[in-house]
Amino acid sequence: MIKTRFTPLLSIAALTVLTIPLLAHHSGAMFEKEKTITVEGVVKRFEYTNPHSWLQVDVKNQDGSVTTWGFEAEGPSTLQRAGIRPSDFMPGTKLKITGHPMKDGSPAAAWVEAIRADGKRFDPREGFKVK
Amino acid sequence: MTNSTKTARIAAIFLAFATLLSACNKAGTAPAASSGAPEPERTKEQMIELGRQHKTAWELYQSLREKTKDGQRLASSNLPDWSGVYTRAPVPGFSFDPDQPPDGLPTAKLTPEFHAKMLKRIEDAKRGIEWDPISTCSPPGHPRWLTEPFLREFIVTPKQTWLINEMVNDIRRIYTDGRDHLPEADRYPLYDGDSIGFWDGQKLVIHTNQLQAGIYQRSQPDYTDQVETVEIWQKVDDKTLRADVWVYDPPALQEPWFTRQSYVKLDDREKTLRIRYWNCGENENNAVYQTKEGATQFRGFTFTKNKNKQGESR
Repeated sequence: MIKTRFTPLLSIAALTVLTIPLLAHHSGAMFEKEKTITVEGVVKRFEYTNPHSWLQVDVKNQDGSVTTWGFEAEGPSTLQRAGIRPSDFMPGTKLKITGHPMKDGSPAAAWVEAIRADGKRFDPREGFKVK
Repeated sequence: MTNSTKTARIAAIFLAFATLLSACNKAGTAPAASSGAPEPERTKEQMIELGRQHKTAWELYQSLREKTKDGQRLASSNLPDWSGVYTRAPVPGFSFDPDQPPDGLPTAKLTPEFHAKMLKRIEDAKRGIEWDPISTCSPPGHPRWLTEPFLREFIVTPKQTWLINEMVNDIRRIYTDGRDHLPEADRYPLYDGDSIGFWDGQKLVIHTNQLQAGIYQRSQPDYTDQVETVEIWQKVDDKTLRADVWVYDPPALQEPWFTRQSYVKLDDREKTLRIRYWNCGENENNAVYQTKEGATQFRGFTFTKNKNKQGESR
């Protein structure tokens, strides 16, 4: 269960979405596939690694404290194919990001879509499309 | 020149022309069974039936080889062009058989024991109980190798062909230099097995044995360490490599499982595609374990303070 102290900056929606499971390495069963969570914050770190990448985002809570959230996506080659490069998310980049949250309430999610402050959208699953 | 000489010369020219014409006609109507001549495309149903006609993968492979008079070895100048970076043509759910209906079951004719195991896996996954054996960073192994959705390269040389999947730097080496498999007593289980092959025109025919047990993919059946495959790889158009695959696995399959796999060449006009070294263990945030219930859970994250699991603020 995600603590309510995040609610001013974070929204949770229950919806049915068709998602491609994270596949490289582990099952995606630890994520709530039927729900999404959206937070706004700034990039702390982008771990552009195999088999999964992690975009770490600092999110300010209602009480002024900060929680670092992690958003998991596929590895570098799939992100490259999705048009997502390390330089797109340098530390300090402002963004709004949506993902499928962890079932156990950890501040982590499977990355669905990120929208930067300049309006550009990034969907890691685009990397599986054949172009 | 006498009239008789002239007549003899005209007759000789006519005979030579007729012989040439006859030779051309014969070349154009060479029997389909001869190596290199175009054969009519076999349907999937015909390929399934071809698999049923052979008791083992080795028997099928031998019959294909006999048809080409023990197979061909290609010189460098005759090798097909399989260059480029490819990926598997998208398949819903990454099913082993691309023709599996989106909401249906895998198309394999499984033995009752393996059918029950597969149904349990699918039902467990619906309840969030799912564990993938490659979560430990081991390679997918063949035949699962065929299903992974990442970048691929195919390196063709006269004596070996390398089928490369970028995931965990996974290379299948297909020996086409005429060698045989290891003697049965010396075989031991391998992730990608031992593969030998021959060329039938521009088609690469492969037999693989010495494999480990595994799963075809999540929500797909298991295979045993008795699994063997026969594959026929060929380029069917400028952008598509196709592999016709028969899987034989008597403990798990009631009959050979035939599938038709496709790999699509990616557009790389901007030369941005790269296959890099894939270190599965480079980021500890990706480490997972199997819970008592059989589900998958992260070990913990570097970005949470004191292994914070409840989103507590710092």
